[in-house]
Amino acid sequence: MIVRGRLSDLWWTIPLKRNGLMQHALIRKLESYETLSDKDRRALNALVPRIRQVGAHVDLAREGDPPDNVHLILDGFACRYKTLADGRRQIMAYLVPGDFCDLNVFILDQMDHNIGTISQCQVADIPRQAIEEITADYPLITRAFWWCALVDEAVLREWLVNMGARAADQRIAHLFCELHARLEAVGHSKDDSYAFPFTQTDIADTMGLSNVHVHRTLRDLRGMGLITLKSRILTILDVERLKVFCKFNANYLHLKNARWIDRRSVIWPSQSQGG
Amino acid sequence: MPARGNVEMLVTMQPIAVNTGSDDRDGMLVMANGMLVAVLVQLATPDHEHEGDWFLEVALGPLRAHLAPTFANLDDATRWMRQRLRAQSDCLPLK
Repeated sequence: MIVRGRLSDLWWTIPLKRNGLMQHALIRKLESYETLSDKDRRALNALVPRIRQVGAHVDLAREGDPPDNVHLILDGFACRYKTLADGRRQIMAYLVPGDFCDLNVFILDQMDHNIGTISQCQVADIPRQAIEEITADYPLITRAFWWCALVDEAVLREWLVNMGARAADQRIAHLFCELHARLEAVGHSKDDSYAFPFTQTDIADTMGLSNVHVHRTLRDLRGMGLITLKSRILTILDVERLKVFCKFNANYLHLKNARWIDRRSVIWPSQSQGG
Repeated sequence: MPARGNVEMLVTMQPIAVNTGSDDRDGMLVMANGMLVAVLVQLATPDHEHEGDWFLEVALGPLRAHLAPTFANLDDATRWMRQRLRAQSDCLPLK
């Protein structure tokens, strides 16, 4: 079938196979954590999600709402956030293509935070019933779901470290390194460049900094020849230098290429160096 | 001790150069009734959307609790700080 966007975004007119696009993204994501069997893949292929295009700055779930479907981001960027009584916003997570917004949250009675889009997003809504059936019958898929949840928690821990213990420039550099690694893993980064629809205010609300500090820091990082940011495309000019600058260690992302998948008893490089 | 009632809080400023690690250097020490409560810095970094505005670089004491906008001029900044300092002193228990 052909799905058409609004006139203003006709570039988005693409053929969309309802059964296929989501499964491809989903299976790719899960297989980065667990090797699935044909039986598992057949079960995932049998899912019939609703795929929809959502505009930028639209809430997919609001604090207080009873959670409904499980949302999977197929394209675009979303975030988890809370709004404080004085109107301040704190962003606690960025969700990129392949990320579940709320895999296990449907178990809860109500949402304790908001999930909203940053850019225009393509979102798959998977009925919670389908997730419950799959987790009851397919242990490998369930294990892969655990991986997803564990990595989300690991990222949250790292963000906590970022907010509490890194200076503003390293904090933002660390975020750029993380997004680079996560987007590269799902094929959304090319030549160390990726779409960066976040505004300075988005970064400020994420990093616990003022707009002024974010502006100064981005200028510094550009001045040091580490990044460029043009037309909402972020380019890391020297990935290794940027990683050294903020002491980025991707271990917490548990990406397959960093996991030594068949040799789990082998210690990680950081440990072998006494790190 | 903060002023209360009809006594206006005395807010004074003293120019100071501030090392922000950026082009934003011209600052003001802000004193309320003789105590340092804030450091303002004028935004001079090129391309900043509020270039020329005054930014609350450092907030001390009761001002720390507030998210400050940038200010078009020092009068606006003084008004904003005075309101919040006064609100705070109104909350203090009377001795």
